[in-house]
Amino acid sequence: MRILIVEDDLEAAEAMDRGLTEGGHACVRAADGEAGLTAARGGEFDVMIVDRMMPKMDGVTLVETIRREGDQTPVLFLSALGEINDRVAGLQAGGDDYLVKPYAFAELSARVQALSRRRETGSVQTLLRVGELEMDLIGRSVHRQGKEIDLQPREFQLLEFLMRHAGQSVTRTMLLEKVWEYHFDPQTNVIDVHVSRLRSKIDKGFDRAMLQTVRGAGYRLEP
Amino acid sequence: MSPGMRLPRLFRTTPFRLTLLFLALFGAAASAFLAYIYVATAGEATRRTDQDITREMSSLIAAYDRAGVDAVNQSLIERAASERPFLYLLMKPDGTRISGSIAESPLEDINAVPARASFSVTDLDAQGRPIKHPARGFQEHLKGGEILFVGADVSEDQAYVGKIVNALRGAGTLVVVLGLLGGVLVSRNVSRSMAGLTDVVAAVRNGDLGARAKVRGTRDEFDELAEGLNEMLDRLERSMAGHRHAGDAIAHDLRSPLTRLRARLEVAYLDVEAGKGDPEQALGQALEDTDGVLKTFGAVLAIARLQAAGSAPDQILFDPAQLAADIAELYEPLCEDAGLDFKAEMAEGLQARGNQEFLAQALANLLDNAVKYTPSGGAIMLRVRRRSSGEIEFSITDTGPGVPEEDRPRVVERFVRLENSRSQPGAGLGLSLVGAVAEAHGGRLELAEGPGKVGEIGPGLRVALILPRAG
Repeated sequence: MRILIVEDDLEAAEAMDRGLTEGGHACVRAADGEAGLTAARGGEFDVMIVDRMMPKMDGVTLVETIRREGDQTPVLFLSALGEINDRVAGLQAGGDDYLVKPYAFAELSARVQALSRRRETGSVQTLLRVGELEMDLIGRSVHRQGKEIDLQPREFQLLEFLMRHAGQSVTRTMLLEKVWEYHFDPQTNVIDVHVSRLRSKIDKGFDRAMLQTVRGAGYRLEP
Repeated sequence: MSPGMRLPRLFRTTPFRLTLLFLALFGAAASAFLAYIYVATAGEATRRTDQDITREMSSLIAAYDRAGVDAVNQSLIERAASERPFLYLLMKPDGTRISGSIAESPLEDINAVPARASFSVTDLDAQGRPIKHPARGFQEHLKGGEILFVGADVSEDQAYVGKIVNALRGAGTLVVVLGLLGGVLVSRNVSRSMAGLTDVVAAVRNGDLGARAKVRGTRDEFDELAEGLNEMLDRLERSMAGHRHAGDAIAHDLRSPLTRLRARLEVAYLDVEAGKGDPEQALGQALEDTDGVLKTFGAVLAIARLQAAGSAPDQILFDPAQLAADIAELYEPLCEDAGLDFKAEMAEGLQARGNQEFLAQALANLLDNAVKYTPSGGAIMLRVRRRSSGEIEFSITDTGPGVPEEDRPRVVERFVRLENSRSQPGAGLGLSLVGAVAEAHGGRLELAEGPGKVGEIGPGLRVALILPRAG
């Protein structure tokens, strides 16, 4: 994957670059908004990581500009501003996800992965299939090896998110944000309990566990 | 200009300048009015005298034309006895007196006709002293070359005019004096009112945020301004205090976890240097500690921001039961796994105003606490209801050990964790954040005993987050 990193904190950019490059991605770095805009116009990227506050041109203006020019590359905003209205402003400007500093690299990596997948599934799907799992989005039913699995509404949403990001790590924060739409950090393992319930429904009685825990990151649904 | 040369302060004030301007305008109007009065009265008197003289002159000329000098002399004799005697002088063409009541013509050029003159005649008063009377008149040449001068004593007219002029002069002086006096009074009054406000502004500029303007209770625009100024300063002071408090709090709250982190890193470093410790494990521990510090920082920042802002942003009307139901759905499996009986009881059709994100987080914090402190086999209940006062109450009751009554006010403070809860994870900011959220909505937090002590269980804790009635 080709990733553009627009971040004026050179050390943070360096750390992102190293981590993502180790993960098999090709990164291009820009140290301010104007350089970022030039790079974004010049190259085809799969994901852009854009800091909100930068010299010369801030991240919001940068993203607004490329969106006006028709560039639909998924954008992950990085920001030290974590209040709801800041988040909303970032998403309204055309950002696809919003990560508040400081963040763990695992969180960043998982979100970049999630964004890259978004673009591939352009058309509206009514059926999701991951390995033996089948989800009918209209009939609201889930089958594994042809056997129906009975899910609560929230469990259904949780599995849908995991299936849409099959093979990728998703963090607990991502699940809380995307499935429950809460933006705070719980002090207890509420998400783990929901995931383990879902796991007991989709994996119990089958020879192989599809829903796996990724140490230090979160969860991954393996096809 | 040196300050010493400046006009006194009072005369530089806006009201005084306005007074001067109005005085000038009023003075002009009054002058025009007084001038009209003068012309209409004093001028009229002079005009009438002149008419009388002209009429007298005409009748004497008519007599002369009819019967010559003798007829004129005859007329003069007759008229000398009349009530209001005119002054006459009949002269030969060379200017020598023929007859009349005055000795000589007041006009230097006896040939100038028609010529008017203002002059004075000397008379004797009752005591025989000579007194001068003002007079005016004019002369004409008669057909035979004789010169006739007719005049009139105008002392009465002049006295009348003098009275009018005096009255007008008095009125004019009064206008100016009263105007100036009023201006000074108004200026002093306004200046005094303004001085209070200016003093407050100066004091605030010099750093005294506690300065306040005096409200005199006159309900005028100065009171309004003073009240507005005071209100503005109140807000400013609260906001400044909030920011200062937030800064202090962040410094205080982060110093201890950072000190702890540093100490651990130091020990790990020494261990690794001595070949004792495992570097990987030490780094892992350091990362975990850093996450802890960051989490604490996030919580402290959220509390500080809420406290500094005074009220939560983006407040909207919402259904509190729905908010609680969503949170209940998130926490129910956790309770079940912890061996706790979870119940939710929501009143329908309620409305509250608030920031749902903050309130959801507050309820999540309360449920986190309840799950952490309630031993397995206990119960947790989440309840939403409307109090008889109209306030909306979210309450979470558990069957844990509870909080002794004397400690309840203290646990809402930041970082306070009671002795018997030290073994539980958490930074001790949960309840403080809930308290800050409640306050930022104009509400409050109430802590009470739970369902009571039954054997080893209880007495439990009941925490209520109360929001003011919406609308």
